[in-house]
Amino acid sequence: MNQTAPVSCIPAGKMSKAKKVLDEAREIQNPELDLADKGIATFEEMPGLLNMINVTRLTLSHNKIQDQINNCFRLVAVPPGLANLVNLEILNLFNNCITELPISLSQMPKLRILNVGMNRLDVLPRGFGAFPVLEVLDLTYNNLSEKNLPGNFFMMETLRALYLADNDFEYLPPEIGQLKNLQILVLRENDLVELPKEIGELARLRELHIQGNRLTVLPPEIGNLDLVSNKAVFRMEFNPWVTPIGDQLQVGISHVMDYIRSETYRYVYNRHQSAKGPPPPIETDKSKKISRAR
Amino acid sequence: MPGVTEMSLDHMFCSRCREGFVAHEKIVNSNGELWHPQCFVCAQCFRPFPDGIFYEFEGYKYCEHDFHVLFAPCCGKCGEFVIGRVIKAMNSNWHPQCFRCEECNGELADAGFIKCQGRALCHTCNARVKAGVLGKHICHQCHGVIDDKPLRFRGELYHPYHFNCTTCGIELNSEAREVRSRPGYAANEMNELYCLRCHDKMGIPICGACRRPIEERVVTALGKHWHVEHFVCAKCEKPFLGHRHYEKKGLAYCETHYHQLFGNLCFVCNQVISGDVFTALNKAWCVHHFACAFCDQKMNQKTKFFEFDLKPACKKCYDKFPQELKKRMRRMYDLNPKRIPPV
Ligand SMILES: [Zn+2]
Ligand SMILES: [Zn+2]
Ligand SMILES: [Zn+2]
Ligand SMILES: [Zn+2]
Ligand SMILES: [Zn+2]
Ligand SMILES: [Zn+2]
Ligand SMILES: [Zn+2]
Ligand SMILES: [Zn+2]
Repeated sequence: MNQTAPVSCIPAGKMSKAKKVLDEAREIQNPELDLADKGIATFEEMPGLLNMINVTRLTLSHNKIQDQINNCFRLVAVPPGLANLVNLEILNLFNNCITELPISLSQMPKLRILNVGMNRLDVLPRGFGAFPVLEVLDLTYNNLSEKNLPGNFFMMETLRALYLADNDFEYLPPEIGQLKNLQILVLRENDLVELPKEIGELARLRELHIQGNRLTVLPPEIGNLDLVSNKAVFRMEFNPWVTPIGDQLQVGISHVMDYIRSETYRYVYNRHQSAKGPPPPIETDKSKKISRAR
Repeated sequence: MPGVTEMSLDHMFCSRCREGFVAHEKIVNSNGELWHPQCFVCAQCFRPFPDGIFYEFEGYKYCEHDFHVLFAPCCGKCGEFVIGRVIKAMNSNWHPQCFRCEECNGELADAGFIKCQGRALCHTCNARVKAGVLGKHICHQCHGVIDDKPLRFRGELYHPYHFNCTTCGIELNSEAREVRSRPGYAANEMNELYCLRCHDKMGIPICGACRRPIEERVVTALGKHWHVEHFVCAKCEKPFLGHRHYEKKGLAYCETHYHQLFGNLCFVCNQVISGDVFTALNKAWCVHHFACAFCDQKMNQKTKFFEFDLKPACKKCYDKFPQELKKRMRRMYDLNPKRIPPV
């Protein structure tokens, strides 16, 4: 994993495409860099980028950014030096081939929105949760689970939106309750077999997506949340719900919420928890996910 | 002191028993009345007067002890007999120096007192106690209860009518303004009082919250002036202290509460949206930030976009989504008729 001096072997045509955008931006002092869909495979193709410290937005979605592996060196997809861009507020790396992120990103003083969706992340670096002002973290469509989250992941108190759809979570850590500012939590199509009662502590939550998991019951504490007002969205379809929840869901989300707030449900839930059977099987086929490609 | 004499016994008889006197018998003479020595005794205990001292009341003579017991009052405070000036009050008798205010212990004999819930109080204490019970203030000048609004002046509370406007001399009401005298305004450095009309002419801004003049920094907002610390969020009542505030229907709010009450924080910049608002997917965007969540390309009202986890995806981005994902999305949509179709 050494990062010796990179050997450049980039086709000249490709280089010019990204370079042109950078040159123009430098000329007109544009702090927002649009580099989506430029066929970029490595940061080498963007000379001088890491010195453009006035940049506030960097969009690199739909490229092919990935580790460069040779016989003698491995150049990581996202260079730690990206953290030099101390004014960066928005970093969009959606739809690349990134397997790892440098820990330096979590030190970026102004980074508010980080989109690393649709990559190949199997793990997040230790200490990743140290972002000082991160508000929106999009990790949709990767290969993450509770087993490879760093210990401080839920210390990101400034987070208002956390996108974890299309990953491999079976359990959501109870520390989720620490994200007091969370307004949006997306867990669509993971492998969740249960939710922690601490979700009920997310008082500001107004969007909860848990559809397409293996959930059978909801913790009654979810009844504390306001998920049925006209400013809220709660998606919970495509789970093997116990019959009474499934029946209420046929009528509507507000009926589910009324039901899980009832004494009857508390009884149903407690009985269900004490007589816990094996979790429902995984039904979603994820083998074709491009995040699994090697 | 009565004398004891021997003299002619004809026509002389004892004032008590009405018998005459025999020769050489001792006769007690007191103010011209004569007595057998054994008859010259206390009308109550029939014993001779100790040291010859007796007290007379309605024609009867008593020893000092019985006289006190029968006629002299005991002090309600010290329990001693009250001889001389007796203060009769509160169903009891008192030495003048023993009848005191039960609050401040001041003598009441000459100042007068007021009975207040079974206690004797001086006027000042009575007013204070009464005001305390009623939650009212006491005038610093006359010590009376201030029934209407008090006037605060140099740190004390008063009946407004004790004062007159420094400029026009009109009798003041509680609306009067206290103004810190400044060089050129008044000779000394003490505050002065002005009626509202004269005050307004002086051009000193009045705080929209506390209605008092603003001597230091003035905040001007919502068409009024405010003390810096009195210009506060209408919801949480925290002062803005120079931070941004948001106005709605004549009220000012901090950013958090403006958003909480009226919505419309931009999903990207998280700032309250002042101009045009794009609302979609349970979110709002400012003009600068309504863009595809996946490529950050700006969008407008006419741009077609797809919904992915309630994030907007432009057509170009949606087309780039992997086939297997689009298949799952379609399946979920097809199986869930309640879902609004992707735009
Ligand atoms: Zn006697
Ligand atoms: Zn007193
Ligand atoms: Zn007074
Ligand atoms: Zn006046
Ligand atoms: Zn004020
Ligand atoms: Zn507030
Ligand atoms: Zn914005
Ligand atoms: Zn797009």
